[in-house]
Amino acid sequence: MIERNKTSLSLNLLLPGVLCLLLFGASLLSIGILSLRPERLAREGIGLNQYLRFFSDAHYLTYFWRSFKVSCYGTLLTLFLGYPVAYLMARSGGRVRLMLTLVLVVQFFTSYIIRAYALMLVLGNNGLINRMLMKIGLIDRPLPLMHNETGVAIGLIMVSLPFMIFPIYSVLKGIDRRLEEAAESLGAGEWQVFWNVTLPLSLPGMAAGIILVLLFQLTAFIVPGLLGGGYYDMVANFIYDQALGVLNIPFAAAVAMVMLAITLILVIGLNKLFQRSLKDVSA
Amino acid sequence: MKRGIGKEKSLSRFFWMLGGLVIIGMFIPLVVVFMISFNPGNELIFPPQGLSLRWYFNIFRHPSLLSSFQFSVILGIIATAASLFIGLSGALVLTRRKFRGAETIAGLLMSPLVVPQVVIGIGFLSLFSMMRIYHSIPCLLALHIVLTLPYTLRVLIANLSRCPVSMEEAAMVLGAGKYRAFLETTLPIIKPGIIASAIFAFVTSFDNFTASQFLIWDRATLPIEIYAYITKENDPTVAAVSSLLILMTVGLVILMERWVGLETVTG
Repeated sequence: MIERNKTSLSLNLLLPGVLCLLLFGASLLSIGILSLRPERLAREGIGLNQYLRFFSDAHYLTYFWRSFKVSCYGTLLTLFLGYPVAYLMARSGGRVRLMLTLVLVVQFFTSYIIRAYALMLVLGNNGLINRMLMKIGLIDRPLPLMHNETGVAIGLIMVSLPFMIFPIYSVLKGIDRRLEEAAESLGAGEWQVFWNVTLPLSLPGMAAGIILVLLFQLTAFIVPGLLGGGYYDMVANFIYDQALGVLNIPFAAAVAMVMLAITLILVIGLNKLFQRSLKDVSA
Repeated sequence: MKRGIGKEKSLSRFFWMLGGLVIIGMFIPLVVVFMISFNPGNELIFPPQGLSLRWYFNIFRHPSLLSSFQFSVILGIIATAASLFIGLSGALVLTRRKFRGAETIAGLLMSPLVVPQVVIGIGFLSLFSMMRIYHSIPCLLALHIVLTLPYTLRVLIANLSRCPVSMEEAAMVLGAGKYRAFLETTLPIIKPGIIASAIFAFVTSFDNFTASQFLIWDRATLPIEIYAYITKENDPTVAAVSSLLILMTVGLVILMERWVGLETVTG
């Protein structure tokens, strides 16, 4: 005879987790408080000065516009480039699949700094691409592939590819192949099967990938920092610069609050949107 | 006949071509890092002009790189251990006790994943400076535990919800105590989950840059030293450091493949 309460756990076990949660909540709250400080070094006082300053100067909005623009087309390109890789992984057999997975997981676990640095060596004026193009005589001056929007976009796409590939792969490999075979036996060509069967079935993976990648690219710091080299700062770089460069923490906190609000609205909105459209597909 | 003989295979061909190019494009930069790390000159030129280990020896002339590596490893291990402990006890309660608000708490514990790293960094900076704490070690540790907890918790909740509590009850019927029952039935079953979440947590802590950079009053982690080195000096020393770290990652991934399978990463 065992008593029920012998196996049931004490709720106290959740206490350390709740403490972490409180710490996290308190840190977000303290940004909110500091963002209301009226002046750069003020230790007290409450006001909306920082927010007014931010919204009244269009110059500050350019950082948000850059992040938004680059992450929108960056996410679409990441989807376009990532999907085929996920498809290959899902459709290839043992050896090939293992090799592809190994390459991607190594990428995934290699730090962003190293991957961004590696791309600097490829895209720079003395980098692999410019050297090769000059050697074969296609160009006589290095192409500006770094320290501009192009470099940042390429970097963001390359670094976030695993976030797109893994969720799509995970969905694709679970799709019942007989559905595709049925469509084929009814006379559908390869592209038709893909557009009408495979692609709609893989929408949940694409939705997850899009949210992950958009979130990553919108809030990226390292890639615009290294591949933009200060010439193409995005929101995260601007916030850091305001906080620890010019030591205007209240203003940095206000911009951070705006960034937090925009990210949360985007993520929650996209989640809702995808959930509704996925319901429509399955209905 | 079911493959549709004679039907054009242009889709597969297109996917193989594009997918292959993407994979190669992801692979080449890492190869370039390796090759440049052996470059004898101090320019970052590809292809390298010779073969030398000069930049590998140069790492040892930079105590900041060495000490920050040591600090990052220790920080990562402690944060991982703490995160595993907090994650495991939390996951046990969240999967086995049904109480109101359990879902909300689980959701909130995942929320650091959707909050931008810069915002988390500013948040910890604001909080600790309001409390007048300006010491990197406790602050970074707290930050890294909060950042890694979503990973350990998620993996362990998934593992525990597939692991029936009846085994533990059976062990207790046979006379085992509460802890022994857990240690000898449930723990072996969720061991792969523990290993996988430990690896995730360690890598997350070891690689974290964006949030950590706000808390480096008296100690810096390796990513912060590397970033500073790239933006200030930028000779192939970083290529050498990167090559070593990539090799470490490859080793870790191979071990992971052996121990728990890569499906834990790819889903």
